[in-house]
Amino acid sequence: MGPQVVSRVGRVAVIRPARVLCVAVGLLLPCLSLPTLAADKTLSFAIYDWANAIYQTRFADECPAGLNLGNDEFWWRSLSKQDRARLTNNGLHESGNRYNVALKRGPKQENVCLDPTVINDPFFRTVEGSISYGENIDGTDDGHSTPKTCSHQKFTGPDGTKGVDNQMYRLIGCIYGWREGGLIDPHANELRAASGLGMILVEVTGVSDSRNDDDVTVTFYRSIDQFALTGASKPLPFATYRIDTVQGKPRYGDHLKGRIKDGVLTTDRGDVRLPYYGNYAFINPVIRDMAIKLEIAEDGSASPGMITGYYSMDQFVHYASGLGGIIPVSYYSCPGLYAAAHKLADGYPDPKTGQCTMLSSAFRIAATPAFIQHPELRNARK
Amino acid sequence: MRRLTETQYRNVITDVFGPTITFGGRFDPLPRTEGLLALGARTARITPGGFEQYYTLARSIAAQVTDEDHRETLIACKPASANAPDDSCAKQFFSEAGRLLYRRALTATERDVAVNAAHEVAEISNDFYKGIAFGLTGFLVSPKFLFVTDTIEPDLTQSSGVRLDGPARAARLSLLLWNSGPDDALLASAESGDLANPAALAKQVDRLMRSPKFEDGIRAFFADFLDFQKFETLEKDMVIYPTFNVRAGEDAQEQLMRTIADHVIVRDRDYRDLFTTRDTFLTPRLALIYRVPAQNPGGGWSAYEFPKEDPHAGIATAIGFLAVNSHPGRSSPTIRGRAIRETLLCQKVPDPPGTVDFSVFNDPSSPHKTARERLTAHRTADACAGCHKITDPIGLALENFDGAGAIRTAENGEPIDASGDLDGIAFKDAIGLGKALRENPAATSCVVNRLYAYALGRPAERGDAESVAYFQKAFQRDGYRVKALLKQIALSDAFYKVTPNSDAKTAGAHTTAGAPS
Repeated sequence: MGPQVVSRVGRVAVIRPARVLCVAVGLLLPCLSLPTLAADKTLSFAIYDWANAIYQTRFADECPAGLNLGNDEFWWRSLSKQDRARLTNNGLHESGNRYNVALKRGPKQENVCLDPTVINDPFFRTVEGSISYGENIDGTDDGHSTPKTCSHQKFTGPDGTKGVDNQMYRLIGCIYGWREGGLIDPHANELRAASGLGMILVEVTGVSDSRNDDDVTVTFYRSIDQFALTGASKPLPFATYRIDTVQGKPRYGDHLKGRIKDGVLTTDRGDVRLPYYGNYAFINPVIRDMAIKLEIAEDGSASPGMITGYYSMDQFVHYASGLGGIIPVSYYSCPGLYAAAHKLADGYPDPKTGQCTMLSSAFRIAATPAFIQHPELRNARK
Repeated sequence: MRRLTETQYRNVITDVFGPTITFGGRFDPLPRTEGLLALGARTARITPGGFEQYYTLARSIAAQVTDEDHRETLIACKPASANAPDDSCAKQFFSEAGRLLYRRALTATERDVAVNAAHEVAEISNDFYKGIAFGLTGFLVSPKFLFVTDTIEPDLTQSSGVRLDGPARAARLSLLLWNSGPDDALLASAESGDLANPAALAKQVDRLMRSPKFEDGIRAFFADFLDFQKFETLEKDMVIYPTFNVRAGEDAQEQLMRTIADHVIVRDRDYRDLFTTRDTFLTPRLALIYRVPAQNPGGGWSAYEFPKEDPHAGIATAIGFLAVNSHPGRSSPTIRGRAIRETLLCQKVPDPPGTVDFSVFNDPSSPHKTARERLTAHRTADACAGCHKITDPIGLALENFDGAGAIRTAENGEPIDASGDLDGIAFKDAIGLGKALRENPAATSCVVNRLYAYALGRPAERGDAESVAYFQKAFQRDGYRVKALLKQIALSDAFYKVTPNSDAKTAGAHTTAGAPS
């Protein structure tokens, strides 16, 4: 291309696409007789769905006592008939439009989601099944305590994998809001798609063979661009996203070493800070000992994958307690969740109290192939 | 005589009254004649419904020009009273605006009729500006504005004994180079008789070509030449092509035009390279369909060069060309092949016979998985074979692009064979087709013929053969630069030649650049 030009078609700084992006095209469309595959290639994805991996059976056998009761139910049970009439406009306010009142059931009318220790709710139901999605994160066979973990029960994976850690599932697997049909994760995904907030970009670099490569690097960024969507709000592949930066450097950018075997990307474990937005909440969780697994097809698309690691108990409880209008339709008690989370946390004990501070977790992710524009290219265009 | 096109009408209003005058409206369609709408403008009439549109537009424009937001700047004089007639101010306004609208100075009668009408309305309404609006409406619906008329004057140096007069020369020149009416400087030159002087004419041509409005002229020609009218009905099945929405269609059209304008004006490149160029402009939406990284993901246009290995090169592989020349839900080698033959090479492909049986091609459960296989089966009918022979070997080269213009390597799981040939030159894919088009002599003669006819507002006829041949040679000599060709035409005698009553009687040509006369 020539020098900078001026025309009514626009003053344009003529640039070439960054090499790393050009070769990504070649990799993603290997069947075309187009790009000659260079030695170093990049695979890029945007994560558009993020959900807790919940293993559930048809009759909820994993929750033998049934699913959890909602906050509204606890509140309703605590009221006299006169108070029920008084606080619900003589019964006209149903759970969806009385949740702000129903949350104030502390002894001094405290909001029990903002202050979940003011009361104790009985009957919080946790998963009692033996099967869960996830991976062995602590490296033990039986979940005994280690300097980095607290004693906990292990699961077996649906495929028979032994030693699976997923205390997050044990905590929320009997809450309707996180199960199939529940709103929490779908609503978060819809909001993220609509707003473009908290979009996670995944870049796999150093790829010499997109099917088998024993040494690649996986880096996680946040996008500042919104999802490119179809008219039906489905993500479109091969859109270009810019990395969120601070003073010219990526705001996020933790990376993991990994490998690709028969098209399946897996990584070693490491601490990764990720952006997250959903249900009107921003979280920047550092997922400790995180690993990602993603199956990449030859055309560059990715099958649903999984992220596992230790998720901050405090951040999760804070998120769950702040879901507002989602809470009455998700059926859980904040005090019950808070207490159970402390019992079930299995990672990273507090050195002073010994209380574990993190929950082993597994998240299902769905990713679409994308182009990632690095700040260097943006700067070059200025 | 020819009717102003919709774009010309809009450009003139914007040039005369500024871009803050806004108006919508639809115009009577022009018939495409000999590959150009510009030629259809010669026979276009204004229907009663069309006149109603013009009248509504005229009232809207006149109302805006005279409203409180605009009158200070658009009406140079100030009336003695805003509540009474002021013939002096009205006369000044109508003389200036009318001259630009009619592309010539008003006659005293024309001016006085407008002034008197404005006087009466101002008197009745007690509003000077209502009078001006009334008079201006009359100009805007006048055939003298809506139709471009070739007015002549005696010239004994011409075999016909006549030539276009100055204002008519100015109008022809500005419509070609700006797709708008002449400005004050060009009209002044015309009125002084300067435009008959080669040196003065050259000065004006240079001025017009240096103006930003020259891009409007280039855009107008290529929009007509490449039949951009098809974009008005471009629509894709969103289920089949989720990436292609209305915005993508608009961007695809603009991408083609930006690519051409940049190639022809800014870079002043060989016209033939349009068939092979990898330089273009993209929006994020287009980048997504092309499956290349967007340079400006936040939105807007940015320059882009397709890598050497990429299958996109040349305007025939642009989404605009591919998507427009396809069905809403699938590609069409035949439509694409026909578009290349008719639009880019100026060759006529007959319409399919009325009795043609498309069942083999359209059968959804056909055992033939690719378009090539289906067309092969379809071509067994003798009535179809002849035309498909001239369209399909070209169109099949573009089968690596689906109906929305996105890359694909297989159809129904079957690898696509994109090989073909163009007039004996074989190729294996779209890149090869682009190269074959570049080397095809019909491609350059086509653009010269079309531009010549577009400039004159009539098809080239037998008597134009010498001029057309001259421009063909000049085009070649100048390295196939469209700008140079336009300049040659704008400076030529042939461009201004006219014979009273019959274009067909025009014979021979003269050019200021030494063409035979």
